Amino acid sequence: MKHLKPLNKKAGLVEEAVDGGKLEEVAAMQTIVGCTATLDPGWEVDPFGSVAALCAPMEADLYGCSDPCWWPAQVPDTINTYPDWNANAPSAARDWRVLDAVFPKK
Amino acid sequence: MLKLDWGLRALAGAGLLLWGSLAAGGAAAQDAEAVLKARCAECHERLPDGGLNRITNMRKTPEGWHMTIVRMDIMHGVKTSPEEQRALVKFLADRQGLAPEETASYRYILERTPNIVEDIPADGDVGTLCARCHSFARIALQRREANEWLKLAHFHLGQWPTAEYQAMSRDRRWWEIVSTETPKQLGQMFPLKTKAWGDWLKQPKAPLDGTWRVAGHRPGVGSYGGTMVVKKTGQDTYAVSYDLMTADGKPLKGAGESIVYTGYEWRGTAKLGNEEVSEVFAVSKDGKSMRGRWFLDVSEIGGTMTAVRDGSTAVLGMSRPYVKAGETARVTVWGAGLGPSIDLGRGVTAQVVAKGADHVVVDVKAAPDAAPGLRDVTSGQAKGKGIFAVYRSVDTVRVEPAFAIARVGGNGGKTPKIPAQFEAVGYINGPDGKPGTDDDVRIGPMPASWSFDNNGEVAQQMEDAKFAGAMEANGLFMPAGAGPNPQRAYGTNNVGDLLIKAAVKDGGATVEGEGRLIVTVQRWNDPPIR
Repeated sequence: MKHLKPLNKKAGLVEEAVDGGKLEEVAAMQTIVGCTATLDPGWEVDPFGSVAALCAPMEADLYGCSDPCWWPAQVPDTINTYPDWNANAPSAARDWRVLDAVFPKK
Repeated sequence: MLKLDWGLRALAGAGLLLWGSLAAGGAAAQDAEAVLKARCAECHERLPDGGLNRITNMRKTPEGWHMTIVRMDIMHGVKTSPEEQRALVKFLADRQGLAPEETASYRYILERTPNIVEDIPADGDVGTLCARCHSFARIALQRREANEWLKLAHFHLGQWPTAEYQAMSRDRRWWEIVSTETPKQLGQMFPLKTKAWGDWLKQPKAPLDGTWRVAGHRPGVGSYGGTMVVKKTGQDTYAVSYDLMTADGKPLKGAGESIVYTGYEWRGTAKLGNEEVSEVFAVSKDGKSMRGRWFLDVSEIGGTMTAVRDGSTAVLGMSRPYVKAGETARVTVWGAGLGPSIDLGRGVTAQVVAKGADHVVVDVKAAPDAAPGLRDVTSGQAKGKGIFAVYRSVDTVRVEPAFAIARVGGNGGKTPKIPAQFEAVGYINGPDGKPGTDDDVRIGPMPASWSFDNNGEVAQQMEDAKFAGAMEANGLFMPAGAGPNPQRAYGTNNVGDLLIKAAVKDGGATVEGEGRLIVTVQRWNDPPIR
């Protein structure tokens, strides 16, 4: 952290953590925050095996999954396979009722 | 009524495809060859042996071929009518299917049995590379040589280019592994050419028409049994009628139709009572029995079924598979070729109350000193091995499944709520006298009082139990509505991490068991093989 100067409170906390010998914890938190950086264990459960650290609500980041084809086995990827999946639902949080599963049973 | 929506119009009926009616076999085969020539061969080059490149290099289940045909439409715009799709699936699954032995360990995924925890091979990376997104069964129900598995790796990278950058990819030489070691391993585990498939192709398949005796169990509702009459309507197609009885003695009638793929893969639809059900059964290699699962539109709700031909001898099931020492119970025994009486072993008497072609109703009385444990049920020549339990006290109650998933749904959205069905199963300690060990004896599902609570501090803080759903009297957890919930912290969904509790009354005592339920968000991609 010699060449970086914190510009806001949050960055200041990072510096404090490093100074306090908690570098490893900070590094880990950078890698996995909530669900968006890991497929382990999966779409249904968060990295801690529960649901509290899933995106809250899921709709807040649904298109952050479908656009870059994250979890394509559970979420239709709009990059290649289902480009029009959410065409009629510009806001997932508002329009989620328009969305359907892509392999309906009937 | 088929639901028609964006982009899926071309696939109308696809979901029903495997169960729909099929034209006479010869015509269907000609239709399939015509479609292969007209549509598939436009891109898939004809090989010297007459097969079509790629298509001829793999074997799949009926569901697997169905998904391939649907994918060809979605990804490449190959339009086929529902009739053409049915003909293609039949043609391909019959000629390039999987042998009974090859599907035996993975039928749960075809039967859509919920809450299975898979046994994934520890060797190599297939668990991490394939089964972190798919069920392992989805991979294990395909057969290809290594060079063809390699093409599947290429396809994944091309279609989902971020796969390589997602976690548990970056901690290894991802592309190097998936383009060399993994295809080799899969080619060894699940090769195209096997003796089992070669033998199955040659083996004559028995027609399935005739009378069958059946029994099964629907978690949360109870066991059932009776008779199924199967009539041939075409090559590998049948009409079916059911004359069944529920555990509480009520008649349950039904009728439906089915297609048999690959000589043993029974796919049927039926109206059973007032419910529309889909059937996925496997016929035994000798054609003498069938076993599988039927389920409703929401496939988490359904039951098991076993059938044997009339004329054989077997005890298939019981309305209640246990009695407490010193007590009495009325029990219906279902089976084929049942004799005039029922024998439940020493210390237990069974007085016949009624008898039919497929069942015997008995009043069972267990002496106070009747030995606890599993017993064979014998009726004439018919036998059911270890299917009836005598107990003195319920030592433990296990909530089954011990770990389950439910999904929010409904609330005006298009995906239904996905419930979780639990059963409270009584056990007695085995010879080691300790609970929770492998020698525990399963008594069977018992009536219970159900409740649930937050699982852990975070769930408590988030008040998961307040929002995630409700438990019905029969152990069915019905999740709450989908969508962001403004009443919750962060406006989060009605997800939750819950402890499921069952309390079983045993005389003056109450024995409790616990399971865990994750109530989570919707699947937006829900193919027949997940």
